Amino acid sequence: MWNYILRRTLYNIPVFLAIILVVMAALRVTDPVSAHLGKNASDEQIRLKTEAFGLDKPFHYQYTHFLKQLVTFNFGDDRSWDQDLPVGKMILDAVPPSVAVMGPTLLVTATIAIVVGLISAFNRGRKADKTLMFLAVIGMSISVLVYIILGQYFGAYLPKQNSSAWPFEVAVDASAAGGRWFFFTPSNWVSYCMLPVMINVIVALGYDTRFYRAVMVEETRKDYIRTARAKGASNTRVMFVHMLKNAMIPIITRIMISLPFVVTGSILVEVYFNIPGMGRTLINAVNTKDFPVIQTFTALFAALFIASNILTDVLYALADPRVRLS
Amino acid sequence: MLKTARPRRRIALAAVCAGMLTSFAGASGELNEQKDTSVAPKVVQLPIRTDGPKSLDPVKGSTTYDNMACVQFYETLLVNKYTDPTAIEPLLLAEMPVSTDGGLTWHFKLKEGVRFHDADCFPGGKGRAVTSDDVFYSIKRLADDAYELENWWLLKDTIKGFDAYKDAQNAAAEFDYDAPVPGFKKISDTEFEIELEQPVYRFLYILSMFQTSIVPREAVEAYGDDFGFKPVGTGPFILDTWVPKQSLTANKNPNYHQVLYPERDEWSRDDRRNRMHRAAGEQVPFVDRIEFTMFPEDQPMWLQFSLGQLGYSQVPEDYFLEAFDKASLELKEDYLRRGIRAQSNMLLDFIFRGFNMEDDLLGGYTEEKKALRQAISLAIDLEEINQTFYNGRTIVYDGPIPPGLRGYPEGGVSDAAYRGPNIPLAKQKLAAAGFPNGEGLPAIRFYTSQSTINVEMAEMVKRQLARINVKFEPIFTDFSSLIEAINKKKAPMFGFAWASDYPDGENNLALFYGPNESPGSNHFNYKRDEYDALYEQILTMEPSEERDAIYAQMRDMVLEDVPYIGSQARQRFYVINPWLLNCKPTERYYSWFKFLDVDDSKR
Repeated sequence: MWNYILRRTLYNIPVFLAIILVVMAALRVTDPVSAHLGKNASDEQIRLKTEAFGLDKPFHYQYTHFLKQLVTFNFGDDRSWDQDLPVGKMILDAVPPSVAVMGPTLLVTATIAIVVGLISAFNRGRKADKTLMFLAVIGMSISVLVYIILGQYFGAYLPKQNSSAWPFEVAVDASAAGGRWFFFTPSNWVSYCMLPVMINVIVALGYDTRFYRAVMVEETRKDYIRTARAKGASNTRVMFVHMLKNAMIPIITRIMISLPFVVTGSILVEVYFNIPGMGRTLINAVNTKDFPVIQTFTALFAALFIASNILTDVLYALADPRVRLS
Repeated sequence: MLKTARPRRRIALAAVCAGMLTSFAGASGELNEQKDTSVAPKVVQLPIRTDGPKSLDPVKGSTTYDNMACVQFYETLLVNKYTDPTAIEPLLLAEMPVSTDGGLTWHFKLKEGVRFHDADCFPGGKGRAVTSDDVFYSIKRLADDAYELENWWLLKDTIKGFDAYKDAQNAAAEFDYDAPVPGFKKISDTEFEIELEQPVYRFLYILSMFQTSIVPREAVEAYGDDFGFKPVGTGPFILDTWVPKQSLTANKNPNYHQVLYPERDEWSRDDRRNRMHRAAGEQVPFVDRIEFTMFPEDQPMWLQFSLGQLGYSQVPEDYFLEAFDKASLELKEDYLRRGIRAQSNMLLDFIFRGFNMEDDLLGGYTEEKKALRQAISLAIDLEEINQTFYNGRTIVYDGPIPPGLRGYPEGGVSDAAYRGPNIPLAKQKLAAAGFPNGEGLPAIRFYTSQSTINVEMAEMVKRQLARINVKFEPIFTDFSSLIEAINKKKAPMFGFAWASDYPDGENNLALFYGPNESPGSNHFNYKRDEYDALYEQILTMEPSEERDAIYAQMRDMVLEDVPYIGSQARQRFYVINPWLLNCKPTERYYSWFKFLDVDDSKR
């Protein structure tokens, strides 16, 4: 197993190096310093910033220097051009709030969607299936922004107007300045994260339910289901033991595709609910043309997706012994 | 100031109720005094629209939000007046600076008893008194390229020998803050002089800008790169926490120097009607803690304000009609019932469509060339643009000096202006320009930044100009390409805007000063020797009727030559919750948060 993981990791190193190369080259097509400093920047200011970030040095030097920083996760004196914070600290501060929202989102969405998918597939063509799929399509058809705006209004603002004891807050405010792990205490999580999680779950449920239903429908046609039924297994057992186990490969694929988003966060939810996570940090960096942050975040996201791919392969092998690690 | 409709009968009833409540409150207050031994801290919660400051180091700041945060911790020698933000008054000074040689040399006397916040960078952790050396050190930081010279433009070509000092120190291995600057003369720890290269009246405004705040050298050297996160100033508040992009909280500075709330007679009648004078003569700050929350989106800010969780809020465009009546611009009845107050301010905006005066087709100073620009100006209906795209909430005015500043024409109208729509006159001017009925006139290329509103607005201008058969060809680019086109003088006509750096019309008149041509701030590349001579003259003049007359002369000169079509200035609306007292929001400066008070019984 460990050999396999090592081998997969080694195979992916050239991929990662190529991604970094492309990202770094793309970010230098136009002068990032001029873009960030804007119309009033003098030549002297542009020169100083260029030198301060080593952008005047040869590309191969910048490339190796950045790789070294990534490998050691030591970004030295590299600071955000917008926030004047060390980039490494920005990442470390932004990951926990994103995880506080996206971790439960992934867990709850996957659980509900799998169960609903199973029920729907098992009742294929019947009223229950049609109703559930109708709701899923409706859910998919509405913009995320609508869910957020309505959710914030009806889920927090209106109830709060009637009762100050209502647990959900409209958005994170200054009282939440309690450090990196603020959102991990139960009361804070309920106040600031539960509503965003609920909105995220509703948004994702439509897509995931339809996907899992399709997977399960495929499984219901297979011989082992007929055999299980012939042997007298109950519907619940057929669904949650036989079908679920055999559908693990596409389920793992789906969950693992979503896994990096637990860290990268959700831009809209974080912006509207004032959650200082990775999504909000990234969109702010893009808006302000904050080159060091964009470059580092892009590299980090690439690494996360590669890691997630490796983990997916490993989980395939664990879930289905027929998948040979060799 | 916004007027809020209120039936007279309701006022009378309110007065009776208020009287009764005051009596009860007085009685219960006495009882409370006997019972309560502790008083709950006063906390004010305020919004910062967008992601907030990027640094709390004044020399690194440039945005409104850097300003808003920094001035809670740092202070400048001079500051805008709360009662009239276009005027300035001493803050860290005992009196206004004095010049006996016509503005060339300024004498400063620091206020006694002003101490920096207590911090571990000082011996024993006790903040020391501010001295003349701190002033020189803080100003010298603007010249240090370690701070990327973000704000060097403020003092460039201003203080005697300072530019040479900057060049020499930045070329040296290490920036020497102890090296002398010829224009700095220390008389004592509390008195000093600054000599300028030439008399420049705006120098005093610059000393009221937050980038020139006074910082202690010990803190800068002790905290290094982290100084931007550990502010040590003389301001009314001391930083508690700052979570970038989320919140900033600060506690009252217990050792804040003597700053008193403005006296009753300093307030206007409208302000007195709003009880703005209630704390006259009292020491500030009143609140024990100030909490800012950053809102990159408007909805959460608006909802939190509506829940009474924020003291005040700007009125976002999307919510304007929810709170205000469009026709009267008065606050709606349900807001008034909740005790919410409205306030509006004119921004120092100069929104215009400029011409490149060096362009072969649209530039030039001959009568024919001027007539072409005058014709275009006369065909454009700015009021229609205002009503369609701004809900009628911008002020359309003549000249480059925005409302509220000296030099702004009475009622916003100048006889020298060629303000449209006046289609018959526009057609006459077009014929005088050699293009009768638009014949032979090539399409006018108009550069503007890509956005939905700009596309729609360009369509309207296209339609308006079609009335005199002038073809209009908008070119939409990203902002940096727009700047590049303007700086390289490639844009014959362009859409742009200017927000005044300080409240003096001189700042806007500088936009037409020849030596400031592109890539400088004179994007029009407007050059007239007579205008330039007048501009050089006003630089050294203090506000006076004589200077106002020259401002008007320069304004009308520009209006006659039409290097731009305009102008418009936006109006900002605020709503204020009843529990927030002494609040008169302004965007001219941000040191006014120290004047705020809260009445928790009204929450």
